[in-house]
Amino acid sequence: MAQRVTLALEGQIAELVSAYPQLAVVRRRQAETTIAGPLAFEAAPDDLEAISVSFDIELTVPHTFPKRLPRATETGGRIRGADYEHVFTDGTLCLGVPIQQRRVLSEQPTLLGFVERLLIPYLYGFCFWRKHGRHPFGEAAHGPEGILQHYLDLLGLDDPLAVLGAIRLLCERGYDARQRCPCGSGRRVRDCHRAALRGLHNHHTPETLRTDFRAIYDACHQRFQRGQLSFPRPMRRQLHRLLKRLQRPTHHLGSVHASR
Amino acid sequence: MAIDKIRYPEFLERVAREIDIPPHKYRDAVRRYQAVGRWLEDGEYSGCSGEVVIYPQGSFRLGTVVRPVRLGVAAGYDIDLVCELPSTKGVTTPQLIKHSVGDRLKQHDTYSRLLDDEGRRCWTLEYAEEDDIGFHLDVLPAIPDSGLTDTAIAITHKHDWGYDWSASDPRGYAAWFDGKNQAAFVRHAPEQKLAIQRLESHIYARIDDVPDQLVRTPLQRAIQLMKRNRDLHFNRPETVAYAPISIIITTLAAHLYGGEGHAHSALVAIVEALQRHAALVDNRAIDPGLAGLGLIRRLPDGSWYIANPVNSDENFADRWHEDGHARARAFFSWLEALQTDLLNPPTHLDPRRFKEHLARALGGAAVAPHADMLVRPAPEVTPRRRVHISNPAKPWRSG
Repeated sequence: MAQRVTLALEGQIAELVSAYPQLAVVRRRQAETTIAGPLAFEAAPDDLEAISVSFDIELTVPHTFPKRLPRATETGGRIRGADYEHVFTDGTLCLGVPIQQRRVLSEQPTLLGFVERLLIPYLYGFCFWRKHGRHPFGEAAHGPEGILQHYLDLLGLDDPLAVLGAIRLLCERGYDARQRCPCGSGRRVRDCHRAALRGLHNHHTPETLRTDFRAIYDACHQRFQRGQLSFPRPMRRQLHRLLKRLQRPTHHLGSVHASR
Repeated sequence: MAIDKIRYPEFLERVAREIDIPPHKYRDAVRRYQAVGRWLEDGEYSGCSGEVVIYPQGSFRLGTVVRPVRLGVAAGYDIDLVCELPSTKGVTTPQLIKHSVGDRLKQHDTYSRLLDDEGRRCWTLEYAEEDDIGFHLDVLPAIPDSGLTDTAIAITHKHDWGYDWSASDPRGYAAWFDGKNQAAFVRHAPEQKLAIQRLESHIYARIDDVPDQLVRTPLQRAIQLMKRNRDLHFNRPETVAYAPISIIITTLAAHLYGGEGHAHSALVAIVEALQRHAALVDNRAIDPGLAGLGLIRRLPDGSWYIANPVNSDENFADRWHEDGHARARAFFSWLEALQTDLLNPPTHLDPRRFKEHLARALGGAAVAPHADMLVRPAPEVTPRRRVHISNPAKPWRSG
């Protein structure tokens, strides 16, 4: 259902525009607000050069932000014209794997945070790539594989099935410290991947969790088809059960998180 | 920074003012030609009886004068003055008329010093100015001609083999042009005279003192801009000979002016209608409605015809078939350049390159004082915000 812009979001828009006075609200729809204009900044990571630049950007902010993330496009044609890989076909910039975006945003969960922690680092990365031909912060693989890789890195695991088990558990039961850790260590979550799983649980919404589960399942399935892994029988049953549930309307999943 | 298209018509008006003759210069020019006129009127000419009549003709009379640029260098204003002696073809000769006027100018200390070598049709007085913007005063000896109209004159023409008469009717042409311009003049005169008087109150104490000749309608502005672009477009020694002559530009523009309120919209209408004649180069048919106007025509022998509106015997395009239709081709390729240089300038360029483009199309000196009005300055009053990047996400793509 369409949501009107909240007072809190209005405040965040005002904060963003006062930090970047060349930006302005250009369009208000029922469920989203669009902010556009030149975004001029000078950005520097700790150990790399500073880059001072301005991009013409357009930011479409769902009124449910930060539950749903804004879409950012670059309207000056610099990124699209550069044959840069990390752009969706509709021109939306791919700022990162969704859950990573949420994790980064959680450090400053406002619109200004979105711009300064996600959009500007992305634009910095683009400029750096143009100049040096490499990504200053690395890049994620495309599609489900990139998502799987992100979870492998995040959880410090080598086994895609362990990641699949973890995301299945989060989907079905949310975060539960007393569970056996899905990584297969035999320990309880509170003694094992506590921080990582808790972080994921906090940054995900039922919707994003479901999307990531599907993506990781797809990535594992691709490996299975290539003969790179096989699903153990008990896991197969669990997966089938969850996949079947996921095909039903989302509130069934949401109820798992109602206890949060 | 971005280019502000909305202000482009206003920018063109300002550039047109820049390439026009400024009021104080106009006043000086009028004083000079009146003095020359008085000197010529007071002369004695053999075979003449009656009053000598002196009047301006050409762009100075039509209000379409443009500060000339010759081979890329700014030159002085051209003022054409007709000196009509009271005689007839039966009692005098072209040579006698030409030299009567020349001799009279040579009798004057100053004019004899300013006088250039004899021209084909006129005597030229070269006025150098302290600020380097001079005048060329062309004095055109003539007699009344019993032609189609009571304003027709016979002018002298010096060939290699001797002198000859040719027909002209500058007053008739000016009256025709005024007719095309009249409605717009009535609309624009009060506002423009007020503006000129306020700006030049040291020259004109009252609004009524501002001469009609300083009012410029969108038609006159459009002609000035076309002439300026023409001068710059044909600025190389090998192309300058094929540049369309001013009378062709003026005539066609006046025919096609539809009362538009701005020079830019007038230019759009004029240039588009002229471009629709381009098929004539390949001897193909053009839009019948347009062909019916008969502005530019191909004759059965392949030659070109653009009529003098007050004397259809005079063909302004009588040399267009020469050199493989070089002048016709040059005219239509210039129209295309006008379209891209002046009517739809490349506003997507960055401001610096956009200004350079305009300078090529209209002249750097005329463009420089006004180009900034087109460039929307970035409202960047504070220095760029500094962002420290730590723990960023990696770019990704969903599929």
